[in-house]
Amino acid sequence: MAKPILANACALAATAEEAAYRITREIGSRAALILALDPSAGEVVDRVAERPWGAARFFHVAALAGDTLERELADADVAIMVATADADGAAAESIARACAERGIMTAGLILGEQVDVAAAVSALRPYARNLMVTNDEDDVAEVLRALRA
Amino acid sequence: MLKTETNELLTETGPGTACGDLFRRYWIPALLAEELPEADSPPVRVKILSERLIAFRDSDGRYGLIDEFCAHRGASLWFGNVRECGIRCAYHGWKYDIDGNCIDVPSEPENSNFKSKVKLTSYPLVRVGDILWTYLGDRESQPPLPEFEFCQVAPEQTFTSKRWQESNWLQALEGGIDSSHVSWLHSGGLKSDPLFKGAKGNQYNLNDLRPFFEVAEADGGLFVGARRNAEDGTYYWRITPWVMPAFTMVPPRGDHPVHGHFWVPIDDHNCWVYTFDYHPTRALTDGEVSAMKAGHGVHSRNIPGTYRPEENKDVDYLMDREAQKRGETFSGVRGIAQQDASLQESMGPIVDRSKERLVSSDTGIIKARQKLRKSVEALRDEGVTPPGVDPAHHRIRSAAIVLPQEESFIDSCREALTAQPGVAHVSV
Repeated sequence: MAKPILANACALAATAEEAAYRITREIGSRAALILALDPSAGEVVDRVAERPWGAARFFHVAALAGDTLERELADADVAIMVATADADGAAAESIARACAERGIMTAGLILGEQVDVAAAVSALRPYARNLMVTNDEDDVAEVLRALRA
Repeated sequence: MLKTETNELLTETGPGTACGDLFRRYWIPALLAEELPEADSPPVRVKILSERLIAFRDSDGRYGLIDEFCAHRGASLWFGNVRECGIRCAYHGWKYDIDGNCIDVPSEPENSNFKSKVKLTSYPLVRVGDILWTYLGDRESQPPLPEFEFCQVAPEQTFTSKRWQESNWLQALEGGIDSSHVSWLHSGGLKSDPLFKGAKGNQYNLNDLRPFFEVAEADGGLFVGARRNAEDGTYYWRITPWVMPAFTMVPPRGDHPVHGHFWVPIDDHNCWVYTFDYHPTRALTDGEVSAMKAGHGVHSRNIPGTYRPEENKDVDYLMDREAQKRGETFSGVRGIAQQDASLQESMGPIVDRSKERLVSSDTGIIKARQKLRKSVEALRDEGVTPPGVDPAHHRIRSAAIVLPQEESFIDSCREALTAQPGVAHVSV
């Protein structure tokens, strides 16, 4: 095998100067569904939804009518369930099953102090592949921004 | 994804930067105790948080960490003579004590008080465990000394190494928080590494390559739990703590020693990785220490006489395509430490986080960045002391445990995640 002779052909190319030669790529928005599982979570989601987002769509699970969830999931690639201590575990299960059938990643954000939301955490644990328990409402927007929602 | 300005906020740690001010509220490792083994040891150059310093030990064995350069003409004190309770510049003989006070200017008259007007910046340097710790902040905000368990146990129960990593501290730290890469990048080590193999938990790891992740707040930082299926009705949890700003622990395996890291900025393009292993209830065996020194477990195999790993960027990390083909290593690079470092260095000295495409399994990293950013801003704007300064936040552990599926790892493991002197760690 030929030995590399150009600077970019070895590990030394990890310089700031060489980084300028990285190919610029378009990074599209993530098609994220944000689903509030209870009324308190709905208030948070409504506040977050007022900010500018790419392809994120926001819903209250209790208000989903008919086959709305199925239609919305058709082109989604991540479903983020937002809950508080009053989370509806049955809703989380049905969302998770629908996502699993379609190969859609699920995540859960549970807002509140750990001791207050233990039941909600247990309810969501089987269904959210990634779960965050936080007492900081800003985490909802933070996660969405990080995911380019 | 981070905005460019947030990326800069969290990666720049030099004097006068917001994240640098944050680091200057903590005791941080400056060098290993072995680097200054005795009174009047040769001085050691130390660069930390983009400040160039010299560490030395005076004739009474006291440690000093002062500005590297002589106040006279700016020559490096590394060439200096350490003797008679001070370091004397090799150029014109100016002499300084461990507090940076100039105590002799040979060219001045003997009764001159000129020397009393010369002082170099100095920082405290204190030994706790195998590490010499320093505090680069204001003296009035100086917290009590660190109380991490690895540096509180008896000397025969702990071992610390260090290695140079050629990347910004944050991408190194993020590797310590992100356990989702372990099943891929480090898959070879679970079967063969003498510091990992044989643990029952390894089989859970290897049987379930798609773990679920759960992130929970801790007083000093975060706990990140990774769960995999175990026997019927149970999950195998591996719980990684992060204590702000730069301390992480790896969940243990069986009765092997438990390990972790401290990620310390040298400057914005380099960091020191301090790697420790300890056992809370027994001495490390000769075999374990030998394995650690040979670069097994999470330690590195360094070029003799240096803290630079043999697998470094100058030699393409000694890439072994045959070992990769045979499945002994996933990336072709030997050793967990340099498997991590090679990929993190390949991202560039400071990765451009505005171009990332994170996924929800990166939640631990997302939350850690948010917590770090908020702490930096709260300190900068309101003077709020950040999490992790209080030594109570240091008394944590990692854990590996099998729990009934309905149990919360954070509720069930409160004791397991708390350092308890003389009590074994919870491990599978």
